[in-house]
Amino acid sequence: MSGMKRRSLLAGAAGVLAAAPLARPWAQRPTTLRWWYHFDNPTSSPAALVAGFEKAHPDIKVQAESIPWGGGSDYDTRLYTSLIAGNAPDCVMVKFYNLPRLLEMEALEPLDARIAAWSDRADISDDLWKLHLASDGKRYYLPLLYVILYLYIRQDWLAEKGLKAPADFASFLDVAKALTGGDRWGFGLRGGPGGHDHWATFVLGGGAKLIKGGLVTPEALAANRWFIDLYRVHHVFPPSAPADGFVQTIANMKAGRTAMTIHHVGSANEIVAVLGDKITAVPVPRGPQGQGWTSFGDQSNAIFASSKNKEAAWQWITYLSTAQANATIAGLAGQLPVTTTAAKTWSAQPKRFIDASLASLPIAGLMPASPQTTDFTRTVWPQTTQKALLGQIPPDEMMRIFEKHFFG
Amino acid sequence: MKARAATPWLLLAPALIATLLLVIGPVADTLWLSLHDVVLFRPRVQPFVGLANYLAALHDPAFWGGLWLSVVWVVVAVGLQFGLGLVAALLLNRQFWWRPLARALVIVPWALPSVIIGLVWTWMLDFNLGLVNELGMRLGLLSAPVAWLARPEYALGAVILAVTWQGFPFFCVTLLAGLQAIPRQLYEAAEMDGAGRLHCFRHVTLPGLMPVMATALLLRMIWVANSLDLILVMTGGGPGTATQTLPLYAFLKAWTGADYGYGSALAVMLTLLLLSVVIFYAVRSER
Repeated sequence: MSGMKRRSLLAGAAGVLAAAPLARPWAQRPTTLRWWYHFDNPTSSPAALVAGFEKAHPDIKVQAESIPWGGGSDYDTRLYTSLIAGNAPDCVMVKFYNLPRLLEMEALEPLDARIAAWSDRADISDDLWKLHLASDGKRYYLPLLYVILYLYIRQDWLAEKGLKAPADFASFLDVAKALTGGDRWGFGLRGGPGGHDHWATFVLGGGAKLIKGGLVTPEALAANRWFIDLYRVHHVFPPSAPADGFVQTIANMKAGRTAMTIHHVGSANEIVAVLGDKITAVPVPRGPQGQGWTSFGDQSNAIFASSKNKEAAWQWITYLSTAQANATIAGLAGQLPVTTTAAKTWSAQPKRFIDASLASLPIAGLMPASPQTTDFTRTVWPQTTQKALLGQIPPDEMMRIFEKHFFG
Repeated sequence: MKARAATPWLLLAPALIATLLLVIGPVADTLWLSLHDVVLFRPRVQPFVGLANYLAALHDPAFWGGLWLSVVWVVVAVGLQFGLGLVAALLLNRQFWWRPLARALVIVPWALPSVIIGLVWTWMLDFNLGLVNELGMRLGLLSAPVAWLARPEYALGAVILAVTWQGFPFFCVTLLAGLQAIPRQLYEAAEMDGAGRLHCFRHVTLPGLMPVMATALLLRMIWVANSLDLILVMTGGGPGTATQTLPLYAFLKAWTGADYGYGSALAVMLTLLLLSVVIFYAVRSER
C-alpha cells in the first residue's frame, strides 16, 4: 500500500469515526407518529399513555394532537380538509358516522389482516366487532371506547309518587305526566343538535326504520306524532326544549327541573355529584310492540391510507385497545372500555349506570352509514324537529323531510 | 424620476402582497368553488356547474328567508347599537367625577370575545335558570318564565339584544372621538344666537359628527351583516330557521353540510350585496 493510499485510508477511517456520533442519532431517530384525538373534558391529557407507549416502543414517538370538537363539525371538517391538503395525521379517533364519508374519500387503511393476526382480538366482544364492520364488509376501525344511551330518572320522585321506572312508552307517558307540575317537567328533551338520539329512542323504537320508505310507514308516522304530542299535547318537556342542547338538559336535571332525560355514562359522575342517590338509570323504554332502540355511541381508531407509518400507527392504536391502556383512556374520555378485561374491574362510574348501559346493549343501534347522516344530526334534524315542536309544520311533514334527506 | 415613480409602489408593496395573498386569493378561490359542485368528502369529483349554484340559491326558500332575516338583523341591530352608542357618547362627553371609570367600563362588551358574550346571554336568557326570567318574575314584569331562545317570536330579538350590547361601545367610542373634535366655538356661537340644547344638537353636533357617523355605520353594517358567531352560539339558527341569517346559512351549508360549492355561492351573493352598500357609500362620499 503506498503512502498516499495509506494516508487516504486513515483519513477516511478517521472521518467515519468522527462522524459516527453524529450519524448515530440520525440512524436511531424514532418514527414520529401523529394521532388526533378529542376528549369531552379538554383538561384530560393522554400524556401518561403516550409516555407508557414510548417506553415500550423506543423507536416510535407519538405526537398526540387534541382537536377541538365544536359539536363534531370542527373535528370532522379539520379531518376532511387535512386529508385533502395532504397533511392528515397517521391515525385518528373517529366515529361511525365518519365512515361513509371517509370511505368515499378512499382515506382509510383496511385493517382486516392486522386484526385477524392481533393476539388481543378476543378481549373485545363479538358484539362490538359485528358493529364495527363497514358496509363493504371490511374493517377500517379498531374499537376503542363506547357508550350506550340510557334513561336517567329521579328515583326519589318516583318513590314519592309510588311509581316504577317506565319500561315502555305507555308507562313513560304516565310517569312523565305524574312528575310534571309547577316548575318541574317529566322529561328533558334535547331539541338542539345531537337531540336525534332522543327522537330515535321514541320513533325508531316505535316502529320507524332507517331504510328507504321506513320513515313514512303508518307505524313510523304514528310514533312520530306520539313523540311530538309529548311536547304539544301533554307538555311533559320544558317549554325551552326546542332550543335546549346537551348542557341545558344536564343542567336542568341537576337543578331538579326535569325528572328524566336520556344520556350515557359520560355525564353520570357530574350528575351524581349533585344529586347523589336520588338519580339512577334504566334502559330506555320500549315501543308498543316490545321493540326498542337506543343509540350506540362509538369511539374508534383508524389509520389513514396516506400514512407512511402504518405499522407504528397499528402498534399505537392496538396499545390503546389493550386492557390497561384501554381502561386509562376510558377514564380520560368518561366512556366505557371495549376490552372485557378492563370492563370486569371498571368502576369509574357508579355501578347502576354501567348496569343500565349493559342492559341496553340488546336494543343499541346506529344511525345509517350514509354521507347524509352528519348533516341530518347537525342541521336537518334540529331545524325540522324544532319546527314540528313549535307547530310550524305537521309531524308527518317532518318525517317526509327526513325520508327525502336520506333516501331522496 | 423613475425612482420617484416607483417609490409609492415599493412602499405599498407589502400591503398589496398581503392583500393579494390573504384577500384576493381566497376570494378568487371562493368564486372558483361557487362555479363547481364541490362536496368536501368527494375531492376527486368537482365538476364545473357554471351558475347552477347561484340559480339553485334563487329557488331556495332558505336563501330568501335568510336574506330577509339578515336585513332585519342588520337594520335593527345596527340601529339600536348606533342609538345607544350616541346616547352613551353624549353622556360620556359631559363632565362628571367618575367619567374616566365610565369610559373604561363602557368598552368592556366590545373587548369580550363573541363566543363568551353568546354564552353569557344564553344563560341569562335560559328558561329554567336564567337571570332575565328570575328578575322579570321578581319585579312583576313577567307572570311566567319565557323560553326566549325557544320561541320563534322572541329568538331573533334575543340575539339582537346580545349583539346590541356587544356593539354599542364601538359607536360610543367612535362618536365620542367625533364629539371631542367639534370646535367649542361653534356651540358658543350658536348659544349667542339663541340656540337651545336641541338646536345645538341638531345644527352643530349632528353635522359635526356626520363623517364619523357615516364611516362607523358603514363599518358596523358590514361587520354585523357578516357576523354569525353570536347567533351560532346562542341559537344555531333556530328554533327552526327563526334566526338563520344568510351568512349562517352559508356557514352551515359549507361547514356541517360539507357542500362548499353551494356555500361559496351563498357567500359570493352576500359579498355582492355588501359591496353594493360600500359602492353607494364611496360614491356619496366622493360628492
